[in-house]
Amino acid sequence: MNKPKIELHKIEKNKNGITILKDINLKFSSGKRHILIGPSGAGKTTLLRLLNRMDEPTFGEILYEGRNIKDIPVLELRRRIGMVFQIPIIFDGSVKDNLTVPYRLRVIPSPIKQDDLIKILELSGLQSDYLERKASELSVGEKQRLTVARALINKPDVLLLDEPTSALDHAAGIKLLESIKELNEVLGLTIIMVTHQLEYASLLGGRIIHLVNGTIVREQESEDFFLNSEII
Amino acid sequence: MEGLNFNLIDISYLDLIISLGLIIVAAGISKWQGMYLEGDLIVGAVRTFIQLLAVGYILKYIFAFDRWYLIIFIILIMIIIASLTVTQRQKKRTIELPFIVGFAMTAGSGITVFVVTQILLQIKPWYEPHYLIPLAGMVIGNSMNGSTLAIDRIDSEIKSRKMEIEAYLALGATARQAAGASIRAAMRAAMIPTINSMMVVGIVALPGMMTGQILSGTSPLIAVKYQIIIMYMIALSVAISSYLLTNIRFNRYFTSDHRLKEESL
Repeated sequence: MNKPKIELHKIEKNKNGITILKDINLKFSSGKRHILIGPSGAGKTTLLRLLNRMDEPTFGEILYEGRNIKDIPVLELRRRIGMVFQIPIIFDGSVKDNLTVPYRLRVIPSPIKQDDLIKILELSGLQSDYLERKASELSVGEKQRLTVARALINKPDVLLLDEPTSALDHAAGIKLLESIKELNEVLGLTIIMVTHQLEYASLLGGRIIHLVNGTIVREQESEDFFLNSEII
Repeated sequence: MEGLNFNLIDISYLDLIISLGLIIVAAGISKWQGMYLEGDLIVGAVRTFIQLLAVGYILKYIFAFDRWYLIIFIILIMIIIASLTVTQRQKKRTIELPFIVGFAMTAGSGITVFVVTQILLQIKPWYEPHYLIPLAGMVIGNSMNGSTLAIDRIDSEIKSRKMEIEAYLALGATARQAAGASIRAAMRAAMIPTINSMMVVGIVALPGMMTGQILSGTSPLIAVKYQIIIMYMIALSVAISSYLLTNIRFNRYFTSDHRLKEESL
């Protein structure tokens, strides 16, 4: 097993008196693909949101490269751990305007390199001539690719994907997964994706973490996992 | 002050009571059309009558007494009542809200009234109630409306832009950056009525204070000059108070580590 990028120790999350996650001990290996699967309400998204501190655990600690994430400035942590949401959120303006948002958010804006933008856009499965297009006019699938590209501008080590295919049709979903796989292979990005669709989980491949009622019931490599998939 | 050759007709209490007939006609129209506003109209008319008469007597006493602390006290009372009114109109009332509104309105009105009365007009003595009270009253009243709109709007904007805000946060934005569009929208909402009234003032409507001055015998040109300054004062005080309010208010939706507080939405 590779060096763990992120480790979760005895994580518990309660919301309004309800336990969403309990006793989660988990390691996400550097440069690997991980898929959180399970039925609705299993706590998959909640778990994902804890990793970049969009949410806080009630108990337990999370380590990023061996450091407690609370000791890392939160803005820096979120740049290292990018996130893509279920519904593609597009900002006003062109594709380029969207891609340059992360640059503009920095206290000292770093110079924008057109070549970098094009490289990231193409890695995310969009062509370079999309740069000047109005982002709101893209298809849903293209919008989701744009949000992936936008998250990559910060040059993260980890990419969190919260059911990124759920708003897309089947073909667009598969294309997106192929791009995510490529990002993992080309850039060495650690991927952590939430899905409830087994087909997508098997297509992406990697380590499968099966959550039910807030606990991990099974954790296996995808090849082994799908040999015995009727358990889900 | 330049005056006109004009005989001011004093309004007797009998005239005032007869003028209530206007409200009775309005209430009649409401009843006839099934608007169900008769009760509110009557209560509003009676409150107008009592409140304004009371203010008239209080002002008469204050002007005669002529003490700076009494003038400041009256202005503070205006700000407190305005702050409580703004708070009452909000769906999400928090304990700190009247204090935040009070602070924002004191800053907005205070700065503009200070600049105009002390630097521009250089009134003597500095607390001359004939200037200070009407000018502060106009500015506070308008800031109150601007503040109500600003808070209402920032609350609804943050709620409706929740996903966009989280997308910004996930990219490494601070809470302030993530809420930027909501803050701007709320400030615009607060400012637009003032800008609209500056656009049409004198064309569509004659402002109340100017009308009052003209009716009491002041030259229309002097009344107009005062009105121009008042419009500018209102614009600045609404801008300052809505800026402060929105920039303080948005914080209640975020934790200190730039996380959106789900429970506060």
